[in-house]
Amino acid sequence: MKHLLTKSLVTSAVTALLMGGSVAYGAGMDVPTIKVTPILDGLESPWDMNVRSDGTMFFTEKCKGLSVRSPDGEVTKIYGMKGSSGYASSAADLFCEGQAGMMGVAADRHFDQNRRLYVASTSNKYHGSGCKTNFERCDGNIVMRLTLSEDLKKVVDRTDIVKDIQYKPFESDQPFGGPGAHNGGRLRVGPGGYLWIAGGDRHRGVCPQSPTLLCGKVLRVDTDGNAHPENNPPEGFDKRIYTYGHRNVQGIDFRPSDGKAFTAEHGPWHSDEITALVNGGNAGWDPQQNIAGRGECPDEYCGYTPNQMDGMDPAVRAAYMPMSDTRFDDLMPPTWNNNGLSQGTSSAAFLKGENWGIYEGRLATGVLGIGFGGTPIGQRIDMVSITPDGLGINGITRMPLGSQKRFRGLVLAPDNSLYVAVDEGEIFQVTATSNK
Amino acid sequence: MSKYAGLMTLALILGLSNSAIASSAIVGDAAAGEERFHQSCHACHGPAGKGAASYPKVSGKPIEYTREKLKAYREGQKFGPNSSLMIMMAKPLTDEEIENLSVYLKDAKYNN
Repeated sequence: MKHLLTKSLVTSAVTALLMGGSVAYGAGMDVPTIKVTPILDGLESPWDMNVRSDGTMFFTEKCKGLSVRSPDGEVTKIYGMKGSSGYASSAADLFCEGQAGMMGVAADRHFDQNRRLYVASTSNKYHGSGCKTNFERCDGNIVMRLTLSEDLKKVVDRTDIVKDIQYKPFESDQPFGGPGAHNGGRLRVGPGGYLWIAGGDRHRGVCPQSPTLLCGKVLRVDTDGNAHPENNPPEGFDKRIYTYGHRNVQGIDFRPSDGKAFTAEHGPWHSDEITALVNGGNAGWDPQQNIAGRGECPDEYCGYTPNQMDGMDPAVRAAYMPMSDTRFDDLMPPTWNNNGLSQGTSSAAFLKGENWGIYEGRLATGVLGIGFGGTPIGQRIDMVSITPDGLGINGITRMPLGSQKRFRGLVLAPDNSLYVAVDEGEIFQVTATSNK
Repeated sequence: MSKYAGLMTLALILGLSNSAIASSAIVGDAAAGEERFHQSCHACHGPAGKGAASYPKVSGKPIEYTREKLKAYREGQKFGPNSSLMIMMAKPLTDEEIENLSVYLKDAKYNN
């Protein structure tokens, strides 16, 4: 019996190793205890957070501004948008409209010394004369570098380090066709302290494949907004571009084991995706009209075609207007596709630390829940196990939270707990405790 | 003469259409409306219709307002940039479901 047991364990261990797992996995799974603790409620569309090692939490609300929650629970409104009240200061150029507003927030890697935060927002400061129609460039999404006071309750300096990400100023003939569509907006500081800026196509067909427009791109810049010297976009492209051909990226994080960047982005009635980014690569989204077998499209944007106002088989849509078009030689194939469906993937964060047990290293991915045309709503946080080459998955486990919400913002705190913002106006903390 | 027949006679006298009679004859059921809300509306408009992200608050409106809006969407009328989404969602609603939703949303409250 003892012999059989030993043999069985060895077999399990070898099998686990062959499948990319670990000996510990074969010897017994450490399923952690997961607990949800409310942090804040009564908020208005909280969008993103950054958590410090002492528990201080900065957070944005899409139509209000930037605030800080001190470790003792006190909330102070730091920097407001046009029309907001109660903030230490506010900026008249920052506004919200539709999906747009104040979005991502990230802290400088030397935050404890320089008190610098990076914040993505919609602004009318750089519109110039370029926003008269939806078919002009319209620079309206910016990234600010904010320096805070020593008590972290005021902004003492604002420098706009990226001023020329495009914005959609007017309504168009599309579902979700209002102004302010598809801004991306997630910010994260990656390896080496560089800032990664996730963008959206702002419902303009030419954006994702354009070499010069920053809409539909992921940017990698230094803390002054200059291109990373090793960015490698195709010749003629803006050097700040790390990857292009994106639709609407609201999730980006870096795999702890190798620093590789992964994005999560919404699909158009089909094909939510996670993608392993390749320097200079093309995510394959190209909603221009009169190409790839498509004719003219409403307002020159084919992103929801065919049959954009009615439900139909997502597979037929995907064949006509693919999320990752294989005609591109530099295509970054998706790591994961949501079984051909779009349910609204949003933010994503890698789970770090042994406290996550068998889920350590997985990519937690929030799904907002969009149930049109017969698609199940699907609100959830998935824990996605990604293969070492980043081109596939080993499996997915749904995070056991006990509730379904519009999961908008996910970020890992220094204590390896996961902070989650939901559109319903709440921020909560998910802790995992190893049972080893 | 039954109550319905009486209404019909009155409607004919007043020149009202059959569909108007049908609407006025339905009494909304808030519990059924809440159930239907969870099936089709909750994911966007949030719990109890409080609004979420770029989707507006839909609770606390008079019954007549919600009823007429949903019927107009069902007929394909546009009221704003995201109307096409509502047209899609309202298309399958029956008169009874619209009445139930209207009654539920009038007093729906989010207790959190």
